[in-house]
Amino acid sequence: MELDFFSGAFFASWLAASVRLAGPLLLVALGELYSERSGVLNIGIEGTMLLGAIASYLVAWQSGSTWFGLMGGILIGCIAGTYLSWMYITVQASQVVVGIIFNIFALGVASYVYRLALRGVSGPQTVEMFKPIAIPFLSEIPFIGPVLFNHTILLYATAGLVAVAGYVLFRTKFGLNLRAVGENPAAAETAGIRVSHMRYMCVIISGAAAGASGAYLVLAQIGQFRDTIVAGQGFIALAIVIFGRWSPYKAALAALIFGAADALQLSIQLFQIDLPPQLFLSLPYVLTILAMSGLVGKANQPEALMVPYRKE
Amino acid sequence: MKGVLKKRLEPVESVWVIAATTCLSIFLALLFGGLLFIPFGANPMEAYGALFAESFTTWRGFGFTLVKATPLILISLGTIVAWRTGFGYLGFEGCLLIGAATATWVSLETVPNGLFGPLPFPIFILLAITAALVTGGIWAGIVGVFRGRFGGNEVITSLMMNYVAIFVVQYLVSGPLRAPGDLPQSPRLPRETWLPYFLEGTRAHSGVFIALACVLVVWIVLLKSKIGYELIVTGLNPKAARFGGINVGSRQIMAAFAAGGLGALAGLVEVLGVHHRLLDGLSEGTGFIGIVAALLGKLHPLGAVIASILYAGMAVGADAMQRKAGLPASIIFIVQSLIVLFILASDLLRYYTLKFPFFRTPTTPSVPPEKPEVKPIGT
Repeated sequence: MELDFFSGAFFASWLAASVRLAGPLLLVALGELYSERSGVLNIGIEGTMLLGAIASYLVAWQSGSTWFGLMGGILIGCIAGTYLSWMYITVQASQVVVGIIFNIFALGVASYVYRLALRGVSGPQTVEMFKPIAIPFLSEIPFIGPVLFNHTILLYATAGLVAVAGYVLFRTKFGLNLRAVGENPAAAETAGIRVSHMRYMCVIISGAAAGASGAYLVLAQIGQFRDTIVAGQGFIALAIVIFGRWSPYKAALAALIFGAADALQLSIQLFQIDLPPQLFLSLPYVLTILAMSGLVGKANQPEALMVPYRKE
Repeated sequence: MKGVLKKRLEPVESVWVIAATTCLSIFLALLFGGLLFIPFGANPMEAYGALFAESFTTWRGFGFTLVKATPLILISLGTIVAWRTGFGYLGFEGCLLIGAATATWVSLETVPNGLFGPLPFPIFILLAITAALVTGGIWAGIVGVFRGRFGGNEVITSLMMNYVAIFVVQYLVSGPLRAPGDLPQSPRLPRETWLPYFLEGTRAHSGVFIALACVLVVWIVLLKSKIGYELIVTGLNPKAARFGGINVGSRQIMAAFAAGGLGALAGLVEVLGVHHRLLDGLSEGTGFIGIVAALLGKLHPLGAVIASILYAGMAVGADAMQRKAGLPASIIFIVQSLIVLFILASDLLRYYTLKFPFFRTPTTPSVPPEKPEVKPIGT
């Protein structure tokens, strides 16, 4: 295929792919945003995404309904979030340790359940997927239309959730309390905020978002399940939250950058460019490393992030 | 939870209680994992019997267990050094890959026309080990410098470094180190540079001795020397360490360097002992399972060795089970992670006692009696 790197057609298809790939990343990152703002680094979202993916796949397959599949993913995400918050907040185990081990656990569970479900079935089954919805009029705008207004309902919903997160976190009393818990839990408790309730809620929100994001991968991108379906996207979401400096709008931008890098390496192979695709792929990670390295000013993370709170 | 849990005055610190909860956690995890065999029509007892028999009683299986345990031991040692210094490093997947790439490069250059020319094996292996220690040490040391000098967050940066390492290896096997052919992998390493097999009729390679030597070194340096003491104090209480005249930042960088070197050695033994070439997808979670093994071993070198062998045995048995009986090997991931999750949860029992509302036992009050409320004058 002969394509000009700078042609409008290439640019439009690249940007459209970037937006498409950014969707699930942004969804899980938005959930993680609540959790980290409340002071809990939930690394377990990687495993939660995988559990959401397998649950949505099985439910969608058995029921034949995409929507039921999505709900199954969210439900299992809530359950995983509840367990994780219990470990983080009540047991007060190290958040890093619990998250890492939970991811291994989830990998085992998802792959076990998948093999159990596939017994006596000839080959992997494909499930019904969400169809792209072209928004009337808007999708006909040249260039912008195909890039922004021809996606699945899940992407539109995720975009809406960015605004919701922005409003809830920065414009409501709930959001103020939530951020207070993440910055200074002792002071928040003194002011009458129930720190552990708040954190439970936020970790469960992040679990639900991760479950939904896993469902997103199955129901809007692949239509099947494999053990490698998530492959680090939960960790990338951690990077997106940090890269977006704990703000939903900047996180949306960060997700787009990560999606664009991913999409670029898919299309770069079409051109005879003498650069290894890994260079583009690793760029977002390198940027995140620099953002967190302390070299370029302190990333202003929530003060109490990763610090368990013990009520005295 | 309220009403069921009652806080203890003092957390239980007895070694016996900790040992008992550990054993109970292992038992519960195995029990739970056993239930997972039933839907596949296998008897849990027989399945476990076959699983552990394969990896610990057959000569061949035991060889595989040693092979699998070697990188786990090295990574759990790295975890011990880093985490005990309070450096929450998670980048062992990356270190393993970097070490593997380094060992591959050194090995491929140890040929008549190569950079190093043909070398006798002892000199080659020393060279390879040194090179892997240096590259792995620098790889993790970067994160260490970010943390120790600039106050960065090592958890996230080290996770991200894993991905960069994956891309580095992908680049190497699709570019500079690529062998002719369809698969993205390096050429096969010259046979003279392979770690020799030492058990007749098994795949057990002598990398396990490298791992055991490292156990000894870590044990002596970390637990018996002045520098190890400073590292551990840094991890226990950085503020106190600073007032005690210890340069906390430099100790963290030191720990990062050592952890990275140990992680890289895991890559070296995998390449020179098992795969005999560099390939994409070399690690597949070893860097994380090693961390889990270190935690099960209570961050002690000896405990880590036992835990690594146990986990390696489980993995080998599970693989054999999947081959022979079609039982999914992923059950073993569930068991391995549940063990540590249960141990973590059981810590709750060290801080709280269970109180059942229907059984009134004449216990001594476990919460100090509440002081009568004194109202400040004037309110």
